[in-house]
Amino acid sequence: MPSPMRLWLGCLGLAACIAAGNAARAESGGLTLFDRLGGEAKLRATVHEFVLIMESDDRINFTFANTDLKKFEQLLYEQLCNLTQGGCPYTGRDMYTAHAKLNITNAEFNALAEDLYEAFDRVHVPYRLQNKVVAMLAPMQHDVVKDHPVSQNPAVAK
Amino acid sequence: MEYFRALRAVVVTSCFLGVGLLGGQTAAAENLFGSDEGKFLLTAGFNDLEGSGGGGLVPLAFITGYGSSDSWGANAHFTSIQLKDFQLRTYGAAVGALDRVELSYTRHEFNVTGTPLDGLGVSQDILGLKIKLLGDAVYDQDSWLPQICVGAEYHKNDGIDHAAQAGLAGVTRVTQLGASAAHGTDIYLAATKIFLAESLVVNAAVRATRANEFGLLGFGGDRKSSDSYEPEGTIAWLPTRRLAVGSEIRTRPRNLTLDDESTAYDVFVGWTPTKNLSLVAAWLNLGGVLGPATGVTRHQDGPYLSIQAGF
Ligand code: HEM
Repeated sequence: MPSPMRLWLGCLGLAACIAAGNAARAESGGLTLFDRLGGEAKLRATVHEFVLIMESDDRINFTFANTDLKKFEQLLYEQLCNLTQGGCPYTGRDMYTAHAKLNITNAEFNALAEDLYEAFDRVHVPYRLQNKVVAMLAPMQHDVVKDHPVSQNPAVAK
Repeated sequence: MEYFRALRAVVVTSCFLGVGLLGGQTAAAENLFGSDEGKFLLTAGFNDLEGSGGGGLVPLAFITGYGSSDSWGANAHFTSIQLKDFQLRTYGAAVGALDRVELSYTRHEFNVTGTPLDGLGVSQDILGLKIKLLGDAVYDQDSWLPQICVGAEYHKNDGIDHAAQAGLAGVTRVTQLGASAAHGTDIYLAATKIFLAESLVVNAAVRATRANEFGLLGFGGDRKSSDSYEPEGTIAWLPTRRLAVGSEIRTRPRNLTLDDESTAYDVFVGWTPTKNLSLVAAWLNLGGVLGPATGVTRHQDGPYLSIQAGF
């Protein structure tokens, strides 16, 4: 009988191989993440739901007070389409510049991600694909969140 | 005594449960306690056996609670483990601040429920401190760097109850069973990586310890009294935003002739319906426990159930 640790590491290795195999198969199938998410229709619906959810989320909606939301919706769609290999050009500003004046905190960043998860749920994109998108967005925290942000949320007691 | 302890655990847990739910997560920027509850679901972790933020058996390099790097969080837990011949109840509270520092307190109440030592009880208090050193498990998706924490767990064993009933009249301290000391400190380093694109969490830790059965049988012993360096690991799959399914393993030193201590492992399902409540159900296997002392050498496995409430 192998030691529990060996058995455990063995199972871990096996799981890793299966996961890697699955990933390779998905890619060799020639489908981009954009396709797997459901293409333009699904992604536009997601971004639309996201804007609705964000508008009623007091944790972050105040940051969009002076934003043209139609334009924002289009730019966010372009960006997600571009990132997921949907082939759209992204015509907006870079993430650092777009958020430079907003004093966004980590909690606000995470709140926005939660709203995006919620939007994906509403249009029935599976969680494992949602995570693939959020995994691409998460490192943008370095550009979006300032080093020592002070929330501008009027609801936070200063 | 038994009933008093159980009652105390229930009261403490339900108070915190109440407080946690009262704090309530809303779509507002702060809860009643000034916490922003700003971290992702599941990233507070559960409470490990020693009360630190982790799975059920192994600490994770997460700071407990749902406060973001500008805030704080706290939780309380109650855990019940019933192995074939042994029972462990733990309860305690933990606080995480600035997503950087974690403090925890946990009480262990251990009872022998089978074997010739039936009736024996041991208890201990554990104080934990964890500090995040580097990396970010969520944001660093574009790098291989895990989130890394260093932690310390100070254990103080309260001694042995009802030894006479178990045929060990006069035994009141773990040092009488061969332990070198009744208190000790574990130091660990934990590295946790969330592979978000794969919905996987992988964690590895190493612990410098001389604890016998998590300190329930004291520290160091007749076979070895110095620190051992023991590896630990966690793997968890996230099938939904609120569920983690996985397994943990933890090797342990064997310091006492009386105790055939070996590797502990579990499989678990953790469910976090809201940032104020988590439930863990696991199957835990500690291997042999006190085999040479009791003559009962079968594996000690059984259900592990834990509830955590907080924010
Ligand atoms: C990974 C996370 C994020 C992504 C991918 C993202 C994406 C975008 C995009 C594509 C734009 C349009 C850029 C342009 O106008 O040229 C934008 C603008 C904006 N974002 Fe973000 N954003 C993120 C995080 C956040 C967060 C956390 C907040 C606030 C809580 C926020 C608030 C805003 C606001 C208010 C604007 C409009 C700025 C303006 O009107 O000048 N964003 N974002």
